[in-house]
Amino acid sequence: MIKHHPSHDLLVAYTQGELPAALAAGIAMHRELCPACQADIAQLNEVHAEQHFELAEAEPIGLDMSAMIDAITSSDAIDVANSYQHKTLTVNGVSYQLPAALNNVAAGKWSGIGGIARSRLSLDDGDIRASLLQILPNNSVPEHTHNGFELTLILDGSFHDDMGSYVAGDFIMLNGEHHHSPVTDEGCLCYTVLNNSMHFNKGLNKLLNPIGKLIY
Amino acid sequence: MQAHSIGLLPSNAIGIKPIAMKTETEKTETEHQQLARWLSDVAGSRSKAAFTELFKFFAPKIRQFAISKFGNEALAHEIVQETMTNVWRKAHLYNQDKGAPTTWVFTVMRNAAFDLLRKINNSKEDCLSDDFWPLMEADDDPVADLAEDKNRTLINEHLQELPEAQKEVVQGFYFQELTHEQLAEQLNIPLGTVKSRLRLALAKLKQNIGDNHD
Ligand SMILES: [Zn+2]
Repeated sequence: MIKHHPSHDLLVAYTQGELPAALAAGIAMHRELCPACQADIAQLNEVHAEQHFELAEAEPIGLDMSAMIDAITSSDAIDVANSYQHKTLTVNGVSYQLPAALNNVAAGKWSGIGGIARSRLSLDDGDIRASLLQILPNNSVPEHTHNGFELTLILDGSFHDDMGSYVAGDFIMLNGEHHHSPVTDEGCLCYTVLNNSMHFNKGLNKLLNPIGKLIY
Repeated sequence: MQAHSIGLLPSNAIGIKPIAMKTETEKTETEHQQLARWLSDVAGSRSKAAFTELFKFFAPKIRQFAISKFGNEALAHEIVQETMTNVWRKAHLYNQDKGAPTTWVFTVMRNAAFDLLRKINNSKEDCLSDDFWPLMEADDDPVADLAEDKNRTLINEHLQELPEAQKEVVQGFYFQELTHEQLAEQLNIPLGTVKSRLRLALAKLKQNIGDNHD
């Protein structure tokens, strides 16, 4: 069972479209696996929609709107719906079904040693880096230190550490002061987001780094 | 096509309230019916008249949202243009059985703003927003779980704090045990609006109940 969810503040920022792409993707993927957060997100969307479209009094636009209306309606083309079919990924002979949120995200060449392989995703945003990380059975997640934050979202499989066990869907947000070295028995595929810099923009900093404690 | 325009022109622009006789609840419900019909006319018959009405309703609000968020008139203009272009091109993806028209347009607006900012700030034209915030749900988002018995008393205690439109769906669903479909018919509002109102009401109840029990 999923025990680790994005914080309420992260869900609010996600529904307002205020997160960098790599974090928005992480929450979208968690949402696909977590009915509880799916319900919370649907509620937050209602709250924002009410605020902006039903309670807000807007000034009339003033300008002549007909030029924009003419331009928009001059084409009859429509956009087809995005596909929500899941892509399949095969690495080192193991196949995984990827979340629909990654359907249009390019993955780089896989590289790695031993039981660990990594592929960079094209979700860069400033200093933020996103990757897929595969760990084969009976390996441990490499220990590392960094100054920023680190998100690990398990997409498939599980791992455990001295704090407990983590399964597909668990959304684990750590900051640089926390160390852990999880071990996987059955192997796993994770989505990871790293930021090695302490220099986030102010809003992000508040969301992700409150007084150096664990933020789930 | 004849445009239906009752009550949806920005009334403050012309200084009269066209539906002043109606209560707030009735106003919102008329709006949702009307907005949903316009979206369906845009999707089904590419009606420019219906699109013009949607534009009059949403564009000033979108502009206001963008200005308060980004403080930039030129960017606000682009967000209005992008959002309304997507409403025109994607109206067929809106399903009035799944959510309120305002909630759907909010999603379109948030997505357009995200893609636009990613393009400006990161020079990325990957348009990922519709993957991160789907415009069309494969299934309904679940309506939350406040319905357990121990919560009913709490809901009842806080019911009076809700606006009329939300109170009546909560009462109908949790206390008279009507289905979403029966409520839509009884209140004469789109099915999706029933679901939207219920979610919104639960979000507020959760907030109010939480505030009081801290
Ligand atoms: Zn969750």
